Amino acid sequence: MKLFDWLYKDAPLATRGEITPKLGFALTVLLAIVWLIPFLWMVVATLRPASDGINAMAELMPSLKPTLDNIRDAWEIGDFPRYTLNTTIICAGILLVQFVTITLAGFAFARLAFVGKTLIFYLFLMQLMLVPVLLIVPNLKLVAQLGLYDTLTGVMMPFFASAFGTFLMRQAFEAIPTELEDAALIDGASLLQRIRHIYVPLSMPSFSAFAIISVPSHWNDFLWPLMVINSPDKRPLTVGLSVFTKTAEGTQAWGTIAAGTLMVIAPLLVTFLIFQKRFISSFVTSGIK
Amino acid sequence: MLFSRRLVLGLAIVGTLAGALALPALAGEGPTEVDLFFPVPVDGKLARDMGTLIKEFNETHPDVKATAVYTGSYDDTLIKTRAAIKAGKPPAAVIMSANFLLDMQIENELTNLDALIKADGTTKEQFLGQFFPALQGNAVINRSVYGVPFHNSTPLLYINADKAKEAGLDPNKPPQTWAELTDWAKKLTKREGDKVTQWGIAIPCAYDYCGWMMETLTMSNGGRYYNEEFGGEVYYDTPSMLGALSWWNDLIYKHKVHTPGATPGPAVSTSFISGNAAMMMLSTGSLTYVRDNAKFAYKVAFIPRNVRNAVPIGGASLIMPAGLEADKQKAAWTLIKWMTSPEKSGWWSRATGYFAPNMAAYKTPEMVEFLNKNPDAKTAVEQLDVAKPWFATYKTVPVRKNLEDEVMLVLNGKKQPKEALAAAQKAADETLKPYNAETSLKLP
Repeated sequence: MKLFDWLYKDAPLATRGEITPKLGFALTVLLAIVWLIPFLWMVVATLRPASDGINAMAELMPSLKPTLDNIRDAWEIGDFPRYTLNTTIICAGILLVQFVTITLAGFAFARLAFVGKTLIFYLFLMQLMLVPVLLIVPNLKLVAQLGLYDTLTGVMMPFFASAFGTFLMRQAFEAIPTELEDAALIDGASLLQRIRHIYVPLSMPSFSAFAIISVPSHWNDFLWPLMVINSPDKRPLTVGLSVFTKTAEGTQAWGTIAAGTLMVIAPLLVTFLIFQKRFISSFVTSGIK
Repeated sequence: MLFSRRLVLGLAIVGTLAGALALPALAGEGPTEVDLFFPVPVDGKLARDMGTLIKEFNETHPDVKATAVYTGSYDDTLIKTRAAIKAGKPPAAVIMSANFLLDMQIENELTNLDALIKADGTTKEQFLGQFFPALQGNAVINRSVYGVPFHNSTPLLYINADKAKEAGLDPNKPPQTWAELTDWAKKLTKREGDKVTQWGIAIPCAYDYCGWMMETLTMSNGGRYYNEEFGGEVYYDTPSMLGALSWWNDLIYKHKVHTPGATPGPAVSTSFISGNAAMMMLSTGSLTYVRDNAKFAYKVAFIPRNVRNAVPIGGASLIMPAGLEADKQKAAWTLIKWMTSPEKSGWWSRATGYFAPNMAAYKTPEMVEFLNKNPDAKTAVEQLDVAKPWFATYKTVPVRKNLEDEVMLVLNGKKQPKEALAAAQKAADETLKPYNAETSLKLP
């Protein structure tokens, strides 16, 4: 029961005697353990020397003689610092442009009146139903025509506008009382000033929630960067990693794969750990509105 | 002052960054730059070996600068190549799964190599004569050369010799028929109560591999997978295919000697290496991995027959996409010829386990020495006598998946072979319809 007391220290006093929150905590702990097992396995497999034999690879028990050989192997096969830089540029670039486009588009759909607004909005939302794979060839054609084939900008381009983000910002902006805007209007604020000083600051949780969705999805994207990028020094992490994980005719070096995977997820993981509180609160607040 | 200074500054940085990244490489008077797309179908170290190979080529050919571009699995490589061709940026050469050539030729995506061969002063017969006859079926379409065999494979039966001896079987006399193989698998399966601690045999079934294994089993059952002369017909709903799938199904659900469910290739090799499965059917492309990792004596043997000894070839050929400029074509041709020469072909074979398509590779001193040391590498080459082309149709990948999806249902115990094959045939006929309507069904 010590564990429960420890988990409980943040719970409101009034709820400490009840049984439901206890069950909730127990379930959360259980889910966390289930989630943690593959992760732990990956860490263990990364540190396991090849001399343990492939039999031991499936075991969760760490090896008595941990080794960094796998990490070194993965490091040598792939140029990880370069891949990480490329992925960071891609994700940050997409996100920055998305912030501008979804703010303006979201505002237009939330507050401006124009002909065919509802129809255009629904057409916009239809984009959510399309599988990105369908658009690979037309997108690639366009990217090549713009002279962006084999460039990081080419990888980012198709994602500069986001239907989901627009929808999210429209909802957030609609929840903001018009009185605030009216007040600013009386003070002589222009349209963009109103967006900048009223709508954007009040929708920060929605922006963070969107960032949490946008960054990991582009961080993990494999097929599209594979299509656009040719030069080895422009590969993002996913493509670099798959050099030693994608196999069809047979065999795999689990230790190296585990080490590579760990290196790929590490930056995201560390970011999450640092900003943990903010991530959680942004989802909670954007959800309540 | 509409937006804050910070935002404007941020946008300016993004803009500059985008501009800098988009700047195209300046074309100069240097060597001809060519891209070579390559998949990694086997163990990961292969990517490093490819780097070594291309580095050597660039050092010995100052007028060409080749870049090796990693492109995922065989299927991903096809998608990427097609997208690049449609986008007007075709790579100069691609290591392409040998059975995709027909489909690409039908779609006019390949360069006919006849003219390049002729310009070298060699005849088609002389050029093709360098390669094992079994490989030519996938390289020649309508009597024109479209591909140059680069690394090829056949399926093999791998046997854990230690376990065989333990079970009182002679690993020097491997099973030659399906009946003997079933018998071996039974003797090699160990149980503790209802729990199996050691499986008799494992056969992979995942996208790409599954279709190839089905062709293997169907061929050794006396049948054919597809029409070798015409890209619009597959023979899924036939007695030979039904027998093959029923036997596979029986190994799992009747004899209980095969790991249940559809198992991907890497899981099969891992389970063989760990001793969890005593035999496996796998590509010769995995031979180097098994040699490096097996801590026991192993044997490789021909795929056992039910009716006849026959296997499909696998692996990849070098191709040139359509629409290349003349100088790129010339540079790519130099690269292709260099990579498929006896020396390089042999070097690649020793590095990967694939066999070398160029017959002269086996006469090089390095290869003779290697084969003396590793006689197991000979089996795939010997099996070439009974090898036939790999299935290739219009829209090879979807037509293959029509079968694979159904086979997976059978192996996972959700469908019976007969109904699964009927469904696969129906789906494949539907996929092949447009091509048949334009060719065999279009009457004058």
